[in-house]
Amino acid sequence: MLFRKGWKARLTLVLAVVGPGFITANVDNDAGGIFTYSLAGAQFGYSLLWTMIPITIALVVVQEMASRMGAVTGKGLSDLIREEFGFRVTFLLMLALIVTNFGNIVAEFAGVASSLELFGISRFIVVPLAAALVWLLVVHGTYSSVEKIFLAASAFYVCYIIAGLLAHPDWKAAAVATVSRPSVIGIQNYSYLFMVIGLVGTTIAPWMQFYLQASIVEKGVTARQYRTSRWDVILVCLFTDIVAWFIIVACAATLYSAGHADIKDAADAAQALRPLAGQYAYLLFAAGLFNASLFAASILPISTSYVVCEGLGFESGLDKKFHEAPVFYWLYTALIVAGAGVLLVPRFPLVHVMVLSQVVNGVVLPFVLIFMLLLTNDRELMGDHVNSRGFNIVAWVTVVVMILLTLAMVITQIGSGS
Amino acid sequence: MSIVALSELLGASVRDASGTVRGRVREVAIVPEEHLTRIAFLVVRTSDGERILPIGAVKSCGAKVRADTDAGIWERFTPSDGVLLLKRDLLDQQIIDVHGRKVVRVNDVEIDSTPVNSHLLLNVLAVDVGARGAVRRLASGVVPAFTLHALLERIPPRVIPWHFVDLLETDPARRVKLKIEYEGLSKMHPADIADIVEDLAPAEREAVFETIDEEVAAGALEELDKRVQVSVVESLAADRAADIVEEMDPDAAADLLGDLTEDRSGEILREMEPEERREVSQLLEFGEHTAAGRMTTEFIAVPETSVVDDAIDALRGFEGGYEALATIYLLGDGKLTGAVPLVKIATGSPAVQLSTLSEPYITCTPDTPEDEVAELFDKYNLLTLAVVDEHGRLAGIITADDVIAMLRHG
Repeated sequence: MLFRKGWKARLTLVLAVVGPGFITANVDNDAGGIFTYSLAGAQFGYSLLWTMIPITIALVVVQEMASRMGAVTGKGLSDLIREEFGFRVTFLLMLALIVTNFGNIVAEFAGVASSLELFGISRFIVVPLAAALVWLLVVHGTYSSVEKIFLAASAFYVCYIIAGLLAHPDWKAAAVATVSRPSVIGIQNYSYLFMVIGLVGTTIAPWMQFYLQASIVEKGVTARQYRTSRWDVILVCLFTDIVAWFIIVACAATLYSAGHADIKDAADAAQALRPLAGQYAYLLFAAGLFNASLFAASILPISTSYVVCEGLGFESGLDKKFHEAPVFYWLYTALIVAGAGVLLVPRFPLVHVMVLSQVVNGVVLPFVLIFMLLLTNDRELMGDHVNSRGFNIVAWVTVVVMILLTLAMVITQIGSGS
Repeated sequence: MSIVALSELLGASVRDASGTVRGRVREVAIVPEEHLTRIAFLVVRTSDGERILPIGAVKSCGAKVRADTDAGIWERFTPSDGVLLLKRDLLDQQIIDVHGRKVVRVNDVEIDSTPVNSHLLLNVLAVDVGARGAVRRLASGVVPAFTLHALLERIPPRVIPWHFVDLLETDPARRVKLKIEYEGLSKMHPADIADIVEDLAPAEREAVFETIDEEVAAGALEELDKRVQVSVVESLAADRAADIVEEMDPDAAADLLGDLTEDRSGEILREMEPEERREVSQLLEFGEHTAAGRMTTEFIAVPETSVVDDAIDALRGFEGGYEALATIYLLGDGKLTGAVPLVKIATGSPAVQLSTLSEPYITCTPDTPEDEVAELFDKYNLLTLAVVDEHGRLAGIITADDVIAMLRHG
């Protein structure tokens, strides 16, 4: 008698905790991600594969911190930063986040544009349409039904694993490169550092931490159900990075081996899928890139508006009317209009901007991480769920390394400039 | 009188009776058990730790604070539950704006400063939730004070008077000491309370539902989004949850309990009063998406031999939701024999037999699927629909508001 919805309650529970990490990780491999990984493989062959293990460890730690914070406090990251560090700090961080996320939004629309340019469709038609589509999808609440399509289409990433396998890469060299130490000469090279920071920035993007924590809160995952959620987060991180590894390997085995070290457009990047799809590689690539870009483009502007408005105390939420939450809607609209609008500048360097936005992610990441670390170590806030020592070490090392890499990049650029 | 902003006061230098700077203001404290709005003391960070500067010893305050006692006699400050610290507990935190019926974040706090006999009386006046407080926080110390003042003058204030502010405090012991009772919140419409609660973090939701009156809590709980509803009930102690569930409409209570785990709903049922428990348990046996799952067992049914006056008496004694009162049902020999619209009772003479006022009525069976129920409401323009079991007995009624909820949320 009492059991009429017992199984249903259980199923809802499982679905509730499985979702957020999975979506976040899939959006992680967005336009910026695909091009950054591709370029890393094309320019440097296997020699950047060493980054993948440390990045994965850091990714797991950081994502776990964000989701644990969401589950324990029931609050978003920007809310917590505001409550613990005050208005001024929050304001400055939100400004930095708007700039960084804006770069990512531009990258997503650039991804949409370049995917359809493979079919010869002009970006001057594609980009405005995509912007309008995204705006309407989200504001009219149809997004949640479309989300499932996006997620299903994310299976496209498996193509990279197959293409990597079919490209007959030098498995031994790839494996050795994955576990070997970074080259000392590389560290003194500007474009090498640029690429390393980009790889970190695209895999552990600052906006993802805000988004993941918000989704955990939104789904109502509590500290008690958190155990299930933790595994969701960890497994999905691993999947993301395995895909990233295969994209690099596929590009190394095809583009780098063929001496095709630069990727100027989507057509170049699509070559990596040739072993799988032959002359139709570009079709496959275009479809995958289009889906990934549009998926991330529908999430990024709205999540940025939420984060900023919540941190600064403006009314937010799609259940509010335009005049009730003007800042929220205007910011959302401005991010889309400007993000898409930039691409209409003639001869806009799509690929370069996509990768650059990921480097900016990497430069901003340590600052977001510092706040996350301070918060997850606050016993008054987290109770018994404060960070373990191992987590603190990994996260602080990530912070220090990213700051050093950024400094090194700046120094090498000044050095090469003079 | 003049108005001092909390953000100006924080960090202000403090001179003692000797005129030397002894430290800076670190906190501003109210002791609600003594006075609900009056500032009791300032916490000053000195070279010798954090010290209490009682407000009676403050001669002037603003960007600079002067005291007329010696720093040597200022007592050491230790945090305690009964003290409301404006910076820690209020600034940048979320509060409930009772008047505006929403959750807002505090940008600054306005404090009224009135001189009385060479001393100051400081009272919290309002919280600033608008651009003025934000700009002050952002620009103070960066922009010269004079320019900042001129700038702030031009920004229209957006403040919430202190008596419209309900604080959020998750520690129950502290809530008592700080006299946080959610009085303002409790007076709102249950649907508005629900909207506010949905904007809060889980621990804060729990705090609200632990504190407010059971009847108000029940009304608000019914209006909550299903997912939030479940998480609130999961977080409450079983006896408190039972107290609230007893006050809910039985159909809503059954729906809610059906969404909980078996252990949890069992726990709550055990804590409930026998009568309410029986009603809810009966409803729990039916499928959610049938007429029986949607019906309520709180309605008015009187013997078919009754007169209008008897119906009025029954109405006076009724404790369920008003939406169930659109129709008064007539029973003969335990079976449903008639239905009288409320209007006819209101306009009928006291001695008129109810059976003569009865109108044709529509019924359905307990296992009627809910979409058919909706069709019946639409076709016959119903306000209530009687659910009749196989023996012709009235098992419960479905009201129009249930159908609207069903159509909107599925």
